Amino acid sequence: MHHRTIIISIVLMIGFIAVTLRLVDIMIINHDYYLNKAKGQQVKSEEIPVKRGLILDRKGRELAINLDTESVYSDSAEVKSIDETATKLASVINQKPEIIKTKLDTNKRFAWIERKIDFEHSQKIKELKLRGIGVITEPKRFYPKGSLASHIIGYVDIDNKGLEGAEERFERFLTASPAKTVVMRDAKGNILSEGHQREIKGNNVVLTIDEGLQYIVEKNLELVMKERKAASATAIMMEPHTGEILAMASLPNYDLNSPSSSTPSTRRNRAITDIYEPGSTYKIIVGVSALQEGIVNTEMKFDCSAGSVEVGGKRIKDAHRHGVLTFKEVIQKSSNVGTIKIGLKLGKEKVYEYSKLFGFGSKTGIDLIGEVSGILRHHSKWSGMSIGAISIGQEVGVTPLQVLRAYTVIANGGYLVRPHVLKEVRTPDNQVVFQSEIQKKRIISEEVSAVFRDILKTVTEDGGTAKEARVDGNLVAGKTGTAQVIDPKTKKYSKDKYISSFVGFVPADKPRFSLIVVVYEPKGAIYGGVVAGPVFRKIANESLSYLNILRDDADEKGLLVMTNQEQKSNTAR
Amino acid sequence: MLKIDRRLISHLDYLTFGIVLTLSIIGILTIYSATRPPVDIFQQQDFYLKQTLWLLISVVCMLIVLTFDYIWLQRFAYVFYIAGLIALILVFFIGKTTMGAQRWISIGPLNFQPSEFFRLAFIIAYSAYLSNIKEPLKDKTYLKSALIFALFPFILLIKQPDLGTSILLFCLFVILSIIKGINKKLIVTLSIIAIVSVPFLGDILWDKLKDYQKSRLTAFINPEEDTTGAGYHIYQSKISVGSGGFTGKGYLKGTQGPLRFLPEKHTDFIFSVYAEETGFLGSLFLIALYLILFLRGIDTALKAKDEFGRLVATGITAMFFIYFTVNVGMTIGILPVVGVPLPFVSYGGTALLSNFISAGILISIRTRRYELFYP
Repeated sequence: MHHRTIIISIVLMIGFIAVTLRLVDIMIINHDYYLNKAKGQQVKSEEIPVKRGLILDRKGRELAINLDTESVYSDSAEVKSIDETATKLASVINQKPEIIKTKLDTNKRFAWIERKIDFEHSQKIKELKLRGIGVITEPKRFYPKGSLASHIIGYVDIDNKGLEGAEERFERFLTASPAKTVVMRDAKGNILSEGHQREIKGNNVVLTIDEGLQYIVEKNLELVMKERKAASATAIMMEPHTGEILAMASLPNYDLNSPSSSTPSTRRNRAITDIYEPGSTYKIIVGVSALQEGIVNTEMKFDCSAGSVEVGGKRIKDAHRHGVLTFKEVIQKSSNVGTIKIGLKLGKEKVYEYSKLFGFGSKTGIDLIGEVSGILRHHSKWSGMSIGAISIGQEVGVTPLQVLRAYTVIANGGYLVRPHVLKEVRTPDNQVVFQSEIQKKRIISEEVSAVFRDILKTVTEDGGTAKEARVDGNLVAGKTGTAQVIDPKTKKYSKDKYISSFVGFVPADKPRFSLIVVVYEPKGAIYGGVVAGPVFRKIANESLSYLNILRDDADEKGLLVMTNQEQKSNTAR
Repeated sequence: MLKIDRRLISHLDYLTFGIVLTLSIIGILTIYSATRPPVDIFQQQDFYLKQTLWLLISVVCMLIVLTFDYIWLQRFAYVFYIAGLIALILVFFIGKTTMGAQRWISIGPLNFQPSEFFRLAFIIAYSAYLSNIKEPLKDKTYLKSALIFALFPFILLIKQPDLGTSILLFCLFVILSIIKGINKKLIVTLSIIAIVSVPFLGDILWDKLKDYQKSRLTAFINPEEDTTGAGYHIYQSKISVGSGGFTGKGYLKGTQGPLRFLPEKHTDFIFSVYAEETGFLGSLFLIALYLILFLRGIDTALKAKDEFGRLVATGITAMFFIYFTVNVGMTIGILPVVGVPLPFVSYGGTALLSNFISAGILISIRTRRYELFYP
């Protein structure tokens, strides 16, 4: 009996030896393997979600915001049955099971299944309680104003990366560098580390755009598009002293909330990407430089009675036959003959020099993507008739913004400004971290600009070309332009396609904004004064009241009413 | 009968007592660690307090058992056994079902598992039966005993189902029979029957198994294949043990249990939690405790003053050993997952009480090894 007990004991001892050997195997030899497995399932490196900064207008109104949406992802290490999971998911989200299967069939610990879905759907997915399938909150960009200022604001891709406009241009302000945090999680996938809820916010971008003015501009462009059955239309409004863009619109535009349903041509910001022959609006180059150079005075007379002038073998006609015109009248009536005569007096070097000086042929430097520099050939490459053509705005390619900036020089007393749309950058807690610098350079004298301002005022007076642009209560200074479109096929001027424009500023003597309206290929009427002039008037009218700008004659008519507050502070003084 | 004399105290087996007490304290500490919340905001579960209470009750019961001469057990052996069988049958009528198995009986606020006590009753009764037979086991008598002591309870336990206890009873039956001594002819016959019937019985047994038991067995054979399904327990347990390394992560530094990767962390898989925190060194210490307990138990059996004492001591020692090996073996993937607790360490009041009573009997046998046989 004794020996049997001992034998049994020895046999049973094998159990102790087996256990010990196995422990050596698992705990010492293969320790690293199991440690990695443990870490792999307990610790997860998570990206801290970056919330993109807001895009605000100059008064803090929201142009681009974030909405919380939910996205579905998979963790391949946890997914039990790919087939079953795919079938169940397919019953909730609008995808074929085969497509979901390929997404699930990876070795990745994180793969997107469907991004930014409805709350209702994500709720259903949560209820399915599928292993390895998770739902996380992701911010989605939303543009509350739809298509308003679409070319300036731009949009983002599914990963919230800016693709157009300010979203692209100011990407570095709007995003923050994504950080990763290591979180501990349990077997149910719950994240247990503290502070995992925090998020990184990008800075807010404040634009110079005024939502109200932008709306006024877009509304009136829409009207003229409809009325004139135009191909497209552009308008830009700028603060003349700083170069801040108050509104910039091009039609057709697109809905920022569904950019995929738009075409590239509707996404083009024509105000800075399209060049056209400016026509008469370009005449200020010759006019201003002649004054600045002292070659002419305002009362100098030019004989335009012939109705045409020959330059380099080409005869250029006036639209209407004029008699003898003073310098002033040449601009007011937009006489081609008169302007060319002034141009010939100046010589091509000066015409080129002033064209350059006013910023033609080079980018304005606006802080938006896609700006083109336009076309201005060096005077050495000009043909015999170029001096005549360029004086009246042909043979040059300009953008609407370049023309507007040139007129702003007259408006602000001789300075070339740098147009910009970024006003400032603020942190999420509203600290200003960046402010756009106002850059301006004097290019003509104060006196010349003042004289020319007076001349431009007469354009909207009786005898001018743009009585239609006249605004009740405030004087408008500006200039019309009508140019033929060059057919890209024949390289010749089209007979029925025109570009009508009006550019100017209000109130003429104390300008609060400069404005250009360009209507491409209007049907019926073609003249800038008739097509673009009224649009200018409507926009200016509404904007003046929106901005509470006084009538020029408010003082003398006793229309100034003191508000309660002003009265109080007056009596206190 | 109730004699607490000086000799009882001086001859008391302090080593066995010390080891089972140490194991129980390790158990409570590990239960505390295994059930602690992963982050401070959650409440600590009170399993460790319940276990402490059970430990106190168990020690008191063990001391009571100690004071009695174990001969007394022999007299009432069949009473215990029949009571145990009745309890096992009762389970089917008034038992509570948890996790697919009907194992529990509630008496007032107390829940207990009759199978935990039945194993002890089995050892006592079978030992008593064997010690009454003078000759080595022969065909007829053996088959009769096999029917009464093995087959009947085995079927009852499989029905619950309680695979762990069934296997234990089978092993104990074989071990005690061998120690009693079996006729050589019978051994040969039984071996042939066993070899022939294994495929046949195996099939029947396989059909009787529940799905989860089947998948546990397949998972044992191929553990890395399905780490999220049936192989999950073993996979996670091996990760826990393996990630402990040589010195362990430190007490209360284990992560697999609190993060809920490890299932049954304070009951069947408590060794994994212990190994993760104390490492290879701590595991060796634990193994050493069981080894000493085992050797001491065998020594007690060899020194027992009578055959009944020897058989009971061997049975109890073998029981501790089998539970230890099957439990640890399953947590480290050398045996399939069978719901067997680690004696003295795993959470569970009935098991702890039963184990302490068993240890008490073991100590009693050793203490009274010099006493003369007097009724």
